[in-house]
Amino acid sequence: MSEHTLMHVTTGAQGVVSRRSFLRTMGAGTAGLAAAGAFGWKEAVTLHAEELRKNGMSCIFLFMSGGPSQFETFDPKPGTTNGGPTKAIDTAVSGVQIAENWPELAKQMKDIAIVRSMTNKEGAHPRAIYQMHTGYLPSASVKYPSFGAAICKELGQAEFELPYYVTVGPPIANVAGAGFLGMRYAPFVVADANRMPGNSQLTVDRDRFDRRLGLMKDLEEDFAGDAKRAVTDHQNVYKGAANLVTSPKIKAFDLNQEKDKLRDQYGRNAFGQGCLLARRMVEERVTFIEVSLNGWDTHQDNFERTKTLSEQADKGFATLIGDLKERGLLERTVVMWLGEFGRTPRINPQKGRDHYPRCFSAVVAGGGIKGGQVVGASSADGSDVKSRPVTVPDLFCTVCQTLKINPRKENVGVRPIKIVDGGAVVKELV
Amino acid sequence: MRTSLFSLLGASLLAATALALPPKSTKNQKLTNEEWKGVSADPVTSAEIDRLVNQQLEAAKISPSSRTTDEQFIRRVMLDLTGRLPLPADVTEFAEDKNPNKRAKLIDKLLAGDEYALHWSAYWRDVFAAKSTDFRARAMLPSFEAWLEEQFRQNRPWDKMVREMLTSEGQLPIRPARSEPDAKDGASYFLLAYQGADAINDRAAQTARIFLGIQIQCAQCHDHPFDGWKREQFHELASYFAKVTERPVFEMVNEKRQVVAQQLSSKPFGEHKMPDLDNPSHGTTMLPKFLDGKAVNPRTGDADLRKSLADSITKNNYWFAAALVNRLWGELMGQSFCQPIDDMGPGKDTVMPTVLARLAAGFKGSGYDMKTLLRVICNSEMYQRQIRPGESNDQHLQFASVYPTRLPAESLWQSLVTVLGAFPMPGGPQRPAGRYATRFGLEGNFKEEFRFDPSTPPDEIEGSIPQALMLMNNPQIQQKIRAQGTNLLGRILSAYPKDEDAIGILYLRTFARKPTDREREKAMSYVKKVGNRSEAFEDLLWVLLNSTEFQTKR
Repeated sequence: MSEHTLMHVTTGAQGVVSRRSFLRTMGAGTAGLAAAGAFGWKEAVTLHAEELRKNGMSCIFLFMSGGPSQFETFDPKPGTTNGGPTKAIDTAVSGVQIAENWPELAKQMKDIAIVRSMTNKEGAHPRAIYQMHTGYLPSASVKYPSFGAAICKELGQAEFELPYYVTVGPPIANVAGAGFLGMRYAPFVVADANRMPGNSQLTVDRDRFDRRLGLMKDLEEDFAGDAKRAVTDHQNVYKGAANLVTSPKIKAFDLNQEKDKLRDQYGRNAFGQGCLLARRMVEERVTFIEVSLNGWDTHQDNFERTKTLSEQADKGFATLIGDLKERGLLERTVVMWLGEFGRTPRINPQKGRDHYPRCFSAVVAGGGIKGGQVVGASSADGSDVKSRPVTVPDLFCTVCQTLKINPRKENVGVRPIKIVDGGAVVKELV
Repeated sequence: MRTSLFSLLGASLLAATALALPPKSTKNQKLTNEEWKGVSADPVTSAEIDRLVNQQLEAAKISPSSRTTDEQFIRRVMLDLTGRLPLPADVTEFAEDKNPNKRAKLIDKLLAGDEYALHWSAYWRDVFAAKSTDFRARAMLPSFEAWLEEQFRQNRPWDKMVREMLTSEGQLPIRPARSEPDAKDGASYFLLAYQGADAINDRAAQTARIFLGIQIQCAQCHDHPFDGWKREQFHELASYFAKVTERPVFEMVNEKRQVVAQQLSSKPFGEHKMPDLDNPSHGTTMLPKFLDGKAVNPRTGDADLRKSLADSITKNNYWFAAALVNRLWGELMGQSFCQPIDDMGPGKDTVMPTVLARLAAGFKGSGYDMKTLLRVICNSEMYQRQIRPGESNDQHLQFASVYPTRLPAESLWQSLVTVLGAFPMPGGPQRPAGRYATRFGLEGNFKEEFRFDPSTPPDEIEGSIPQALMLMNNPQIQQKIRAQGTNLLGRILSAYPKDEDAIGILYLRTFARKPTDREREKAMSYVKKVGNRSEAFEDLLWVLLNSTEFQTKR
């Protein structure tokens, strides 16, 4: 869905440059914004930006849609009323235990960091999901870009045939796209990791496709006289699309290129294969990949359902970490695992847990994150953060730090919007 | 080198900071009706529009473009008024018609048909839906669209429509149903589309933007940096919505009590507080006051409060009339008096303000009749001129020409179906019916990819790679492009054995015009080069459907 809106503020009489042209010049990536009177600053920023893009770091967001229970994942409380029947298991780091059903990730403990003190105020799915994707609450006035899109704008390589931002799995309704940052940073949706992305396969052979494009350019010449800008923009989009489908890099979307054994290890389910696709995207220097796993909204039958989900998530997540590490990719990839909130300490009469943003868990790994630790703690009964609360902006600031991005950098839409509003880096993690 | 960069950095950081803070505005902003004071509210004629516009063009020494050909005109006006591409027979018949009034007759016919209502209900649906913050409101859209369609079928005056939206008290479903939507409470969508703590602010902001063309949302948090609106004014407007709320409607679904709908309802007491900037959990109670300064007794109940707001907005309010005129004029001409199309207000840059004022007054005089307005614009010479691109992106053509713009998703889909024929519906026993059907399958995906907020400035609407991929590679579309059987090309190639003729009819089919000599030559030599007639024509049809012109209103 074309969610973006490039908002425009004409400033006119005050003598300030129109923000629209400001944005356009920024978007074109040209250095030296003499018109806005911020000449030297832009130059310095652009030099740094080029370095960032060359480094080619990536971010993988494993989004657990529905709100995973922290008691059944990374903050078990065995033997307590609130803990329920869930047992805890040891991990590769002595003294750290996680919930049963996560044996593979337990082995990877040295490379991951668990945060048990996530805290937030949003308890409704749509708002919490939106906030978890943008760092902001929804507003009618501003189409906030998602955190992923903002990261892509900072790190995406200038000439790049693949999309900067890939989302694996059916798109969760109304999750923010690129907002006012524009189509270039909009998530490219891969509905089913087991198949090539929709409409990405040529229906004619390559020669004929090229021939068609040649004819199109030829025949558009006349209309270009009447509607030059429309034709130029259109041809640019088509060039991007053609580059994508004819690029050898598009094979990165083809999981059939992977050995069966590895595919089995990731798990033959949508999430597992999605994680494998994410690794392949990282290899190709795609900047931001989101893989979602839905079903964590366990108001009923929490224990059985989280067991099934955990099995999938465990295999996929653990194999991803191991695979990235083995290929030397973990240093340049930061991985975030969390949902929009956690679940209640109290077990309800349907053997379920309800929404609970006050205290929940997240996992981060890679990109220089100090693994093998637990940051923050929940109270003994799990009802509150006991120490070291971490908010969503805190988490985003931390990810920015690992990616070497300034979270306070502003993108100009209808007004300047920071990449992250508020929050502070969780120093223990970096 | 490094030193100078840093000192530049320092100096320009200072400048940048100064840039970042909104300058304190000293003027006080207030809505008045000055703009149309003394302006006649008599019916506007097309001749009058031409006289007024041409006068200004002459004064500015701008020469208007020439008249559209019949081919150009029929495609443009059909897309503008009904979102449809004319068939080849329509184009030929129209071009051969000797009646000197044929253009006026065509306009009348289009305004009287069903497609008019379908097209404009989809347009306004997208205008309102673009800013919704309540995700459940998606399920309410079909009812809203059904209500809109009703309004346009009856040609209900705009002021009555807006009044109904502002004062509604209905309920709408939050789960998509598989049956035809009920139009009855559709107007409630406007208020139900926003939820959460900010709903009251969003309602105020969108009321001002959509109905008055005034973008006041910046003033929610601080005095508007450029337009003079004060924070107090924003929150006084929001206070009109202090007593309307929504509550969930429960029903037993599969033996479980679930929320099935949201119901608008009134609170007996309610006040809106403007948050203290230093301590947002505290605030100042605001009393309802309209943007023209008229206050309302705060003890007024919800129904009367919203009725009073509806009165202030729709009765004898220049900005209400001008906002609608600006929008419809902009849709037809590609550019409007004030740009962006929903960003007007006292003191804003306006092209030909006297013409806007006359049209606004005339619109009021007509009883806010949208068909009358559209009819009179479409019949003007001005509207019937050829397109001309600007020399730069920002250049305003001063209505000397029509500005080419992108087709909305619905029109583009309709065009595709007109050319290739209907696509098979997504099958299966659970197949949804009616209006809901358009959300699924190829049609649903296509429209999702191509949809954009109609209030976006045309220059800022971008194409996307998924859009291109859809038209380039979608297997269902490609299947229908093939020269076989009863497909379009299958029939054309057998009915027109001469390449020249086949090329001609293909252009007529996709672009509603004959190819130019150059285009025909290029196509002919392409067919010869490829050597395989079917293949070459498939390529040609593919190119025409993927080209800019197919997606552009011209």
